[in-house]
Amino acid sequence: MIPINAVFGLGLALFFIGLFGVLFRKNLVIMLMCLELLLNGVNIIFAGLSHALRTPRGSIFALFVILMAVSEAAVGFALVLSFFRSKKTYDVDEMNELKG
Amino acid sequence: MITVLVFAFFAAAALASAVLVVVQKNAMHSVLYLAFTVLATGGVFLCLQAEYLAAIQVLVYGGGIVVLYIFVIVIVNLQEIKAEKRKMFPKLFIFALPALLFVQIVNVLFTNRATPPAGSEAGLEFKTLAEMLFSSYIVPFELASILLLAVLIGAVIIARRRLVNDPD
Repeated sequence: MIPINAVFGLGLALFFIGLFGVLFRKNLVIMLMCLELLLNGVNIIFAGLSHALRTPRGSIFALFVILMAVSEAAVGFALVLSFFRSKKTYDVDEMNELKG
Repeated sequence: MITVLVFAFFAAAALASAVLVVVQKNAMHSVLYLAFTVLATGGVFLCLQAEYLAAIQVLVYGGGIVVLYIFVIVIVNLQEIKAEKRKMFPKLFIFALPALLFVQIVNVLFTNRATPPAGSEAGLEFKTLAEMLFSSYIVPFELASILLLAVLIGAVIIARRRLVNDPD
């Protein structure tokens, strides 16, 4: 039996590593990758709770989270591609046209 | 006990490669470490007895999203990727790893294994999951299909090239 605290720790650690990446990196593609890390951390917590409470509801919710991650990746990449076409860079500091 | 050890191994692998995803300079290296993180997370799911989730994780994340990342990086900076000369040892590794894996899988397939005793609880979890997914959660399930359709159309429209005579 895996201790639930260990699962929580792992999920939270992945979540915060991903959060750190989203906040501190300036490369758009790496920021998107860190978003995937965030969602992976959340999924681990869902799977752990599903295991601890002996119900498949956590797995089902994690399934929907994965689905949402796929959608987010597809649309995110379309946005990255069209941003790269207009600016020829990945740097988020170049996204400053709406700052007024 | 052995489950906890395997869990600890996959957890450590996932954490280490997650840190490497964040700190890498080269985006392509980050993608490779992301693939490693995703597969390690699949291992964690297996330890938590979420086999379906592990399969989906490997198929959708490892097979779909990671390849999508690699494609986007390759498409937008083609000029930075050069063919590199490999030394003898990495070449051997490339051929030996699939060959060893093949031998192992054939070995597993053709070895007679004890079948699980009748009336065991194996697979019961799956059944409840499937029944719940298609009864209590049928509305979000169908909504998810609409979301995927919208994403398909939206991604195509956002990512397509502008027309030639478009002044923008």
